[in-house]
Amino acid sequence: MQNAYLNYVAKRLVQAVLVVLLTYVFTFIVVSILPGDPVTNILRDPQNGFSDAQIAEIFAAHGLDKPILVQLWTSLSGFVVGDLGISLRSTRPVADLIAEVLPSTLRLAGASLAVALVLAMVIAYGARFLPKRFGGGILRGLPSLFLSVPTFVIGLLLIHLFGFQLGLFKVIDSNSFWATFFAALALGIPISAQIAEVLMANLDHEAAQDYAAVARARGLRQSKLFFRHLLKPSSLPVVTVIALMVGEVLGNTLITETVFGRTGVGSLIQRSVVTQDLPVLQAVVSLAAVVFVVINLLADLIYPLLDPRVKLVGSTPRRVTTADESSIDTAPRKVSV
Amino acid sequence: MTISSTATAPRITLPAPPFVLLSLLVVAIIIAWSIAPNLFTSFDSAVGVPADKLQAPSAAHWFGTDHLGRDLLARVIHGTASSVSSAMIAVLIALFLGGLTGLLAGFLGGWVDTVLARLVDVLLAIPNFLLAVIVVTALGFSTTNAAIATGISAVAVFARVMRSEVIKTRSATFVEASFLSGGSRWHILTQHVLPNASRSVLPLAVLRFGQSVLTIAGLAFLGYGDPPPASDWGLLISIGKDYLRWPWLLYAPALVTVITVLSLNRISRWLRKTD
Repeated sequence: MQNAYLNYVAKRLVQAVLVVLLTYVFTFIVVSILPGDPVTNILRDPQNGFSDAQIAEIFAAHGLDKPILVQLWTSLSGFVVGDLGISLRSTRPVADLIAEVLPSTLRLAGASLAVALVLAMVIAYGARFLPKRFGGGILRGLPSLFLSVPTFVIGLLLIHLFGFQLGLFKVIDSNSFWATFFAALALGIPISAQIAEVLMANLDHEAAQDYAAVARARGLRQSKLFFRHLLKPSSLPVVTVIALMVGEVLGNTLITETVFGRTGVGSLIQRSVVTQDLPVLQAVVSLAAVVFVVINLLADLIYPLLDPRVKLVGSTPRRVTTADESSIDTAPRKVSV
Repeated sequence: MTISSTATAPRITLPAPPFVLLSLLVVAIIIAWSIAPNLFTSFDSAVGVPADKLQAPSAAHWFGTDHLGRDLLARVIHGTASSVSSAMIAVLIALFLGGLTGLLAGFLGGWVDTVLARLVDVLLAIPNFLLAVIVVTALGFSTTNAAIATGISAVAVFARVMRSEVIKTRSATFVEASFLSGGSRWHILTQHVLPNASRSVLPLAVLRFGQSVLTIAGLAFLGYGDPPPASDWGLLISIGKDYLRWPWLLYAPALVTVITVLSLNRISRWLRKTD
């Protein structure tokens, strides 16, 4: 029994490492097809006044004169041991640049996930409890509205209403509590919609199960049924959804940080895109992929432990709910934890 | 009982719920705007009247005027073509590349499936918007490239859905029967697998159409699309943010974007339900 779980862990680990390495290679390929080689453009800029010999020397120092496959190999083997290369623009190690801005972005991302989770629970549980005429129906429609508004519009709306009209915060003072809160809200609203949709669908599914019908038939109050029976099974899958949302949060910090004028990984990307600072872009994208893969790996590893109904089939956890399905359990390919 | 209730006054049945009809109307207007913008506005979208700058919405200028005295409604209408057709390009790219990937993976199976699955994993591991950003950086800043980038960032989703649909259909009894009664692989692919898979891919395409409008607007907002005087919706909103004292410059293009995407989401949901 323990063995099956360890087997599953090992399989997922290998898969995760493979995906991270492949992602690095993929990013390298995309970034190196850039038109009009940015490095040469910087060096040939008459303002910098390099001679041809100096340019060749700089090329050799960065290893840019070698064939592309050799460059990929050096870059990839550096990445594996944690060396992210050197920024083309500031000639500082990329790792330093990222380390400088990372705390601010982690704070924002963490806050936005928390906001999203609370908002999603309010929407999903509210939609279940409130009668239609008291706003239950409106709550149900809210996620689809949230998903139709661009992140930057939500941000600008919040800035206009709370910053500009009510004077609650100043965009310039980007580290104040309210500025961070509203930035997190802008980032969290689209995320909350996706979590809320999953929560609502799960709640509906559980409420339609036989055990819920039996409980209702025996006179259990609606609130007791909800808290004692429906809450836990319908909330657990949210763990996986949140892990998937991490990627979206990381991608959208780019927009939110620009809108709210915050310094962070997002604004670092924006700067590197404009100046075509390839090593920084390569590093940030790869690190985002690492974060995404690791968090999803953790979610996948923890989930079978949280939900005893999950059986491990092959390399993916699968929920087994019906009696018929669990009776096939003795088949050789399926293993139970 | 049941007979008497069905016999009472014949009710007019709508072909779709009213909300969906409204959404279809919105999409029809948007398409009309992008095909023939000049039918809907007589103002020029690039040249303004400086004396009329920053006017609030009125009967003459429904959305008001911008900082150069250009009619904002005209700018929105003229921006529709590139905002919407680029989203269309994005969806078509994603549909084609993703559909093909999923089809090959699901239909051929074996090592092809394994290799393609890893490729899809890689595309999923990079945050969607970040993927679009690095692709558009690699191709160069323009609205067309933003559309291609958005399309590539959505390939993985289509590949996944297509693959699972193909596998589901391929193992169905009627497909097995068709194979046993002498149907070729090509016949099975075109007559059974594709029509069945398209039923769940179509709502996804409509949904992604809305999402692509948002992603492209985001790229335009950051300045990765065509530069002004182009009037993509994202670019208009980005200009509007510098004029918060005249909020219609922000709210008018934002509202048009939101209503368009909301309508597309509604239609997608309806397509999924009626299936």
